[in-house]
Amino acid sequence: MSATDCEQQGTGWGILGDLPGDPMIWVLIFSELAAFGLFLGAFVIARALHPAVFAAGQATLDARLAGINTIVLVTSGWAAARATAAARAGERGHARGWLFGAMALGGIFIAVKLTEYAGEIASGNGLETSPFFTLYFLLTGFHLLHVGLGIVILAVVSRGARPAGVETGTAFWHMVDLLWIVMFPIIYLVHP
Amino acid sequence: MNPDRLDITWLILIGLALATLLVPALVPRPLVANALLLTFAALKGRRIVLDFLDLRVAPALWRGLVSAWVVIVVLFAWLASAVVALI
Repeated sequence: MSATDCEQQGTGWGILGDLPGDPMIWVLIFSELAAFGLFLGAFVIARALHPAVFAAGQATLDARLAGINTIVLVTSGWAAARATAAARAGERGHARGWLFGAMALGGIFIAVKLTEYAGEIASGNGLETSPFFTLYFLLTGFHLLHVGLGIVILAVVSRGARPAGVETGTAFWHMVDLLWIVMFPIIYLVHP
Repeated sequence: MNPDRLDITWLILIGLALATLLVPALVPRPLVANALLLTFAALKGRRIVLDFLDLRVAPALWRGLVSAWVVIVVLFAWLASAVVALI
């Protein structure tokens, strides 16, 4: 059977082809979920081993700013979902508008997070202050890089605002949202 | 304009985010507070998986895999905090 025959029978991606957007983005999403899952697991284990150190570190964080960022990011996710719905309905202008809204909110998330980092660094807390802050800066910094990358991906797919492209870009964005939803209580609020 | 599923999901997520912020002040018992915080996170994650990632209409395998990731991570976090509290 030729490659052309395979393509005619489906996407060539098997059951990954049943997911919204390009299957390749889902390979990336599953990889990212596995990596962040292990990273969060390491954070949880380190906290169980050093509860006093983690409690002291957590007490210095600004949970209210992080809570505001949660609201910013889920609202951005809603705008991205609306963009997908508009693109599927053939309303490319609307899709582009929703994507710009999602990107702007992503920019606000980054600004708030950098403000939070500035406050923490000004208080004398850095990457090497304690195991808590090492893991905190690595986890949230890695996530922040994904927010930046997500904005770039949304900008790229907003040019054509075609359904497949928008579905692909917003799938990545929702993963970034999902990661934050899980990270936020574990890092900022859960009692060690 | 009537709210559709996406709007309702967004409102639920905002409500759960606000409720999450209130838990530390309103629930003094750490294990109960942790259980509530992580349950809210799982509920938010579930809505994002089903309605924003749009896996509601995807094969059960994919919906189950991503949902299981959320449940495993929050359950592990709660169990670890429970073990520390009980030791």
